[in-house]
Amino acid sequence: MHGAGGYQPGLVDLASGLVSREIFVNEDIYAQEQQQVFARSWLFVGHESQIPNPGDFFASRMGEESVILCRDRVGAVHVFLNSCRHRGMKVCRYDDGNATVFTCPYHGWSYATDGALVGVPFFREAYHGELDRTKYRLVEVAQLCSYKGTVWANWDAAAPPFLEYLGEFRRFLDLILDGWDGREAQAEVLGGVQKWIIPCNWKFPAENFSGDTYHNISHRSVDLVGAGPSGRSRRDYGELQASRRLHVAIPDRGHQTITYVLPKDHVPQPAYQNSPEVAEYFRHCEEERRRRPNPNSRLIGAPGEIFPNVALLPRQPRTLAVWHPKSAHETEVWRFFFVDRDAPRAVKNFLRDYYIRYSGPAGMTEQDDMENWNYAHAASRGVIARRYPYTYEMGMGHAVENWEWDGYQLPGRVVDLTKAQASEEPMRNLYRRWAQFMEAESWGDLMAWRRNNAQAAE
Amino acid sequence: MSGVINVRDLAVGARLMLASGAEVEIVSNPRDGVWLFARYLSSPDDPALAGVEEMIFAQDVVQVRPCGEGQRQP
Repeated sequence: MHGAGGYQPGLVDLASGLVSREIFVNEDIYAQEQQQVFARSWLFVGHESQIPNPGDFFASRMGEESVILCRDRVGAVHVFLNSCRHRGMKVCRYDDGNATVFTCPYHGWSYATDGALVGVPFFREAYHGELDRTKYRLVEVAQLCSYKGTVWANWDAAAPPFLEYLGEFRRFLDLILDGWDGREAQAEVLGGVQKWIIPCNWKFPAENFSGDTYHNISHRSVDLVGAGPSGRSRRDYGELQASRRLHVAIPDRGHQTITYVLPKDHVPQPAYQNSPEVAEYFRHCEEERRRRPNPNSRLIGAPGEIFPNVALLPRQPRTLAVWHPKSAHETEVWRFFFVDRDAPRAVKNFLRDYYIRYSGPAGMTEQDDMENWNYAHAASRGVIARRYPYTYEMGMGHAVENWEWDGYQLPGRVVDLTKAQASEEPMRNLYRRWAQFMEAESWGDLMAWRRNNAQAAE
Repeated sequence: MSGVINVRDLAVGARLMLASGAEVEIVSNPRDGVWLFARYLSSPDDPALAGVEEMIFAQDVVQVRPCGEGQRQP
């Protein structure tokens, strides 16, 4: 299982549950996945709450590329490649702000917030008025989708629409974006985006957030310290004692998560007792949530991953992380924290403190994770280490479809962790999808569900 | 002082002389130090430009007209 010269079929061998270390450390494979994976996948760019006004922008990333998320003068949202059409210089070098135009500091070409090239120095004199400025707009993504405030973009015009790409996983993303009380699309970004670089391949954190419950021993010290919002363990999850704890993997999509299903008529448990105001707010939200006719009202979110590089953590803390590839051996993490936009200020302040105590470069739990990823990566780079694949054999063949419990059904392939404690079904789902992307020539090869649906219709 | 005009400091309403001999009035300033949005008041080379709004490149600005009311004081 060597990847000399780049990717080859067999590096991800799910029949035997083995994955070559080459896919994590091989620089040729890394270069290939920029085209095969990141240039074709839907990627998270930012949130509309970051650009509320015309001219607002947020400099983001898609894979290795710098992009500009901005709202133009008439209010439309765009995502542009942050690179001047003349000599490639970044036209936006601020993290965020408000601009009338994006001006390249190299030669002065200037672009409106709708991407139009509006300023070319010496247009009459040097170009003699002959340059067709309409040919040199900022490069815009092929597809853009704003879903409940989150902005997603794709460079590939042949990719399916975002919600089709998301498939049945949509309900798990909704757990972050809808309000705690069950109202739709209530989230806003809380504070700034935390950004830092970690010395490991991007797939280490992507795998971890796919639903690795096996590594909980790593966080034992955090549990002992009691970093949770009530000073106990990591989270206030009293209701989990009555729930089913599950792995859910959506085949053909590469999205997967841990989730909890509450029994019917479950009564909310006390939480956030360190702050009476916050405790009362969440008690009210939990009651409201149970009153609303929403299929998600019995779901509790937990770590999950939207293929390829967006991790979700819908509750305690409520956050999206993007694992931006920087090199085969480096990942730039951007972590966005969310809160209901109409939550009381005291609740937002309390949650901000808890979120950064838990996640981010200084977060106690995230530090544990980074320690694992960093050293695992470093210890997998050597020529001897590369000979030995990782094993993903845990629970092979034990996932079920059409899962149902207490009148509640879930899609995808499901493993009940309530007794099993752990499985590697989500990781196999992630790497199966990754290998499909690495081998597919186009999106036509990546939409098995369309073929299956067509066959079923016949 | 270098004598170079810092276009970031020019306010809406300021009148400018350009290298071409045209005179313009600023209508907005993105304050990027490179461009100004301005309306042509006159243009000896191309009289049809009078009244037209265009982006003006900083290197084309040769003088801030003394009558300009809007120039920001240092």
